Amino acid sequence: MQVTQGENRKRIDERLVALQVAVIVVFAALGICFWVLQIVQHTKYDEMAENNHQRTLALRAPRGMLFDRNGRLLVENRHSFTISILREHSQDLTRTARMLSRVAGLDEKQVLQAIERHRGEPSYRPIVVVEDATLAQVAAITARRLDFELPDVRVEQVPTRKYPTDALAAHLFGYVSQANESQVGDGVALGSIVGQQGIERVYNTLLMGQDGARRVVVNSVGREISTLEEIPPVQGRRVQLTIDYDLQKAAEDAFRHAGFNGAALIMDPRNGEVLTYTSLPSYDPNDFAAGINRATWAALNTDKLRPLQNRVIQGRYSPGSIFKIVIATAALEEGIATPDFRVTCNGGATFFGRYYKCHLKGGHGSVDMRHAIEKSCNVYFYTLGNMLGVDRIYKWAEKLGLAGKTGIDLPNEQESLVPNTEWKLKRTGEKWYAGETISVSIGQGQVSVTPASLAVMISTVANGGTRVTPHVIKAVDEGRGWTEMPTPAVADPVAFKPTTLSALRDGLWMVVNAAGTGGRARIPGRDVAGKTGTAQVISIEGRARARGSGLDLRDHGWFVFFAPRDNPEIAGVIFGEHNEHGYLGAPIAKHVIETYFAKKDGAPLPALPDQAPPARPDEDPDSPPALPPIAVADNQLAVGSRQ
Amino acid sequence: MFERRLFYHVDWAMLGAILALCLIGLVQIYSATGGSGLYLTQLYGIALGLVALLACLTIDYRSLADKSHFIYLGIVGLLVFVLFFGVVRGGSRRWIDFGALNLQPSEFAKAAVALVLAKFFGDSRRAAVTSSDLLVAGALTAVPFLVIARQPDLGTAATLLPVLFIVAFVAGMPMRIFGILAIVAVLAAPLAWTFALQDYQKERVSAFLDPEADARGAGYQQLQARITTGSGGPWGKGFQKGTQGQLRFLPVAHNDFIFSVLAEEHGFAGVIAALGLYLFVIYRAIGAARLAKDRLGAYLVLGVLASFTFQVIYNIAMSAGLAPVKGLTLPLMSYGGSSMIATLAGFGLILNVRMRRFTN
Repeated sequence: MQVTQGENRKRIDERLVALQVAVIVVFAALGICFWVLQIVQHTKYDEMAENNHQRTLALRAPRGMLFDRNGRLLVENRHSFTISILREHSQDLTRTARMLSRVAGLDEKQVLQAIERHRGEPSYRPIVVVEDATLAQVAAITARRLDFELPDVRVEQVPTRKYPTDALAAHLFGYVSQANESQVGDGVALGSIVGQQGIERVYNTLLMGQDGARRVVVNSVGREISTLEEIPPVQGRRVQLTIDYDLQKAAEDAFRHAGFNGAALIMDPRNGEVLTYTSLPSYDPNDFAAGINRATWAALNTDKLRPLQNRVIQGRYSPGSIFKIVIATAALEEGIATPDFRVTCNGGATFFGRYYKCHLKGGHGSVDMRHAIEKSCNVYFYTLGNMLGVDRIYKWAEKLGLAGKTGIDLPNEQESLVPNTEWKLKRTGEKWYAGETISVSIGQGQVSVTPASLAVMISTVANGGTRVTPHVIKAVDEGRGWTEMPTPAVADPVAFKPTTLSALRDGLWMVVNAAGTGGRARIPGRDVAGKTGTAQVISIEGRARARGSGLDLRDHGWFVFFAPRDNPEIAGVIFGEHNEHGYLGAPIAKHVIETYFAKKDGAPLPALPDQAPPARPDEDPDSPPALPPIAVADNQLAVGSRQ
Repeated sequence: MFERRLFYHVDWAMLGAILALCLIGLVQIYSATGGSGLYLTQLYGIALGLVALLACLTIDYRSLADKSHFIYLGIVGLLVFVLFFGVVRGGSRRWIDFGALNLQPSEFAKAAVALVLAKFFGDSRRAAVTSSDLLVAGALTAVPFLVIARQPDLGTAATLLPVLFIVAFVAGMPMRIFGILAIVAVLAAPLAWTFALQDYQKERVSAFLDPEADARGAGYQQLQARITTGSGGPWGKGFQKGTQGQLRFLPVAHNDFIFSVLAEEHGFAGVIAALGLYLFVIYRAIGAARLAKDRLGAYLVLGVLASFTFQVIYNIAMSAGLAPVKGLTLPLMSYGGSSMIATLAGFGLILNVRMRRFTN
């Protein structure tokens, strides 16, 4: 096939035109593609580009500071360093873990475990590896970061809670830790720091403040290039407590001096402001502030002494002879007896065919109300209790604040328990035995109360019948200066008859200032009134059976007090765990009261005596008597000795 | 040799468009490298390229074509030399070290192949391209192709194939041969997938098909290219304000992804301007082929243009994340001296053909 030159030329031209058209089509197609990407889908890609290079870093807000009632700083914040891994910038996580462990002197296995624990979380959320890092660790890592060796490791300075030394008032303050899933919401994000116990928890919303944020530009390996925007964090509100630092310290020092654990709640009986709040043994809330390590947490949880228990509102014990105050009040207010009502004690008495002993073998002879309180005569109160019946006892126990919760503004308060007929019927389906009332009269049987409720009881007696609600917050600064918090309303105002009040005050004053058991709290000129008591840990029969179990079965001692006798300003309870004798708590009360008045008078604060006072060798009148069995169902009389 | 009147037949419009593209590239290189000295190197490349362009313009393309076999052999010789004595960078041996400047002979192989194929088909007295013509032309292409592929630089090697096909197409290759080749390509694809492609190459293809499935690995560049382009919007983020390029989310932004940087900083408007310039240059060059005095000239223009056009289209598609990531630069804009010199030299040939359309 021969083709002419012209035809050939024409065909070439046709194909060239075809190519020109093809090129135009392809370029038009490219143009359309760019139009789709840059115009139609612009928003989507713009967002992706921003996510690429912009990071929002949370800036933790410092929590609000806590002050004592005199404006003394109690809880503040310090700076600590947190080291974390940002996985979105990680090339090789195992390499990072190995390098980080070597540089910061960590256990590589633990670092890997930390990574593993958070694997499911989004990769832009940093995994905290070290909290409260040392300066040496920070320096070592910062140097490496500059070398681009650890681009995915972040070192942050964060405000961290700083509590007073010696675990002062630890259970009052509580502690903070990262929010768990159930706490998220209402301004709380996963991982933000929230109060878990104590004031930190109850007033968390006030104290937490508002975390800030910093929007930064990062490059492709995660290095921060510049800051776009910074919303500074807002510190939490300042809160003033009703606590007095000096009294708090006096109480804790006195406990240490006395050498036993326990609890103390001391307040102003006129308004319920808590001056001292102690639960021992304690924990150091600073351990929690930057994330508690597992070993410390496990040790706190397995400690037989239970340092995490807030004994003031969570420990429930039998009140023993302290309860006689309730019986006396009930008898006087119900008109069953006058202060001059006399009972003859021969060392015991028979009720419902059974013999109930007094602690004094020879008996107290004929005693009136004042002396019965002073001497803590069991027979006198058996008699009154029998005359009252359990339901009237319950009524007055409740009026004095011994039944249910005190309503203190701290979390996880336990209810105090005083039995009555209805309660027993509901609980066991059995009717109340009159014989049970006899043991309730001296604070045994099923009476089980918290130290806090006893503090309310003695405050109510001290102020003449007004059941105050203990509270720990005095004022809050919401940004416009201090605002006083209103005193919680009095639930059930009662005014005792003047005869009741004078009989109680006299009897309790005599306990300390005459022949009673509270002599160790005596302060000349301060007219301290009080009452000792013993909380039986286990019945005498139970004790024999539990011998050798290794459990501490020694009794607890109580001391409730107020001062001065006629216009009381300070009242409270000292609970001595396994200290056996209530009077051993009296020196603690004395030290706090002395400190209180020294402050009030502007005198130098008192020092504790050098030597612990020698234990009194003589018989403790509060030691619980061996109670006779009343009925088969009544073997639960003895606390904790059912089996 | 260079007659004064020829000066008036130089396609100044096309030359202007070419220089405009070089300038855009220069600005983007400056932006993408944060003002480091790289743009100066590129400026030297442009200057040398213009010298090469002038040289290729001056000598009549017909006398060049007469010596095409020497040029061809020379280039193949250089390629073989590179294979043994070249400088290794990034795992492949592509460069000859001249101290101040590294020369990449494979860039010049495109023009050499264009020249030799133009000469071969231009000399052919037959009206249609026969199978034996195709075999010879195929062999002429295959030699440099295989040597370059061995470097390994499959991307540059692949740019030789459009030269062969376009020249053969215009020279009158029957359409059914294209059909057969297309069928063979389709059938060979799975075989190539199994036997010929390296794992990293397969990964790139997979990543192209679904870039977001492996956003951290092979799909990363693909996705980042798309984000870079898309985030530019209609007007762009401004000179040196592109976050993707400036913060290194896009690798080799001044080189393979220069067009993405342009798209990010100057938006759709900038893209349309650059696309328009490229289209103008290509369209005008095909026009030069149509005006060419002889078939040799037409074939030569198309041969040079084929690899250029292929590379432009592929690179721009890749810049928008529309094609698998391949180390193919954007002629006239990407950073790279050899590419710039070879490309401008090629345009020297195209201008040469157009300029001499009235001479004998």
